[in-house]
Amino acid sequence: MGAAKLSGMQKQVLSLYRGFLRAARSKTTQEDRKRIETIVSNEFRQKSKEVDRKNFQYIEYLLRLGTKQLDQLKSPDMVSISSIKVATSKT
Amino acid sequence: MASLSTTSLSFKAPSIQSTRISQVLRTPSCFQSIAFGRFRSSKSLRLQISCAAKPETVQKVKDIVKEQLALSADTALTGESKFSDLGADSLDTVEIVMALEEKFNISVEEADAQNITTIQAAADLIDDLVLKKPAAEAS
Repeated sequence: MGAAKLSGMQKQVLSLYRGFLRAARSKTTQEDRKRIETIVSNEFRQKSKEVDRKNFQYIEYLLRLGTKQLDQLKSPDMVSISSIKVATSKT
Repeated sequence: MASLSTTSLSFKAPSIQSTRISQVLRTPSCFQSIAFGRFRSSKSLRLQISCAAKPETVQKVKDIVKEQLALSADTALTGESKFSDLGADSLDTVEIVMALEEKFNISVEEADAQNITTIQAAADLIDDLVLKKPAAEAS
């Protein structure tokens, strides 16, 4: 981050990230929490590398998607999340 | 932060005097890391003037930052170390602030959280919030 000013969109993303980490904190077991944090952090980092920073439409879409997922995660019924990785080869 | 204006002034302090002051104020555990050069000592004088953060707080912050960024234990950190210089991106910074929140049992406002760029800034803010907290609970 440094002294660099963040754009509004970057702030939105960071705020969403913070929201996810907060939500993860409210989950009961240490194990679930770790898993949620790992998945969330991987997702954000991966997207931060993959997505072109000028691709505003896509980022906006991801923000909306993330907000929705965060709402789901916040619900007390939701205990944990999991993710699977599907590797695709281009051949 | 308002303390910034005092910051630049304190650089004009005579270097001999500032060395002495920083010697007095530092805790013994920090002694081996003191460089008695002019720049370093005037820097620590500046810190002592511009903020009230306790050395313990700063140390705790340093430990957490090291842990979050997976730095080796002997990495030298000063209060002036910028998170970005330590290899942290903005996501890391969020994680650091969250970890600090948890450790000190405080809640950092979002606007403040985005202004934290150095360890010293983080420690100042934390001490501030820790002081404010009991008062807020009592009222």
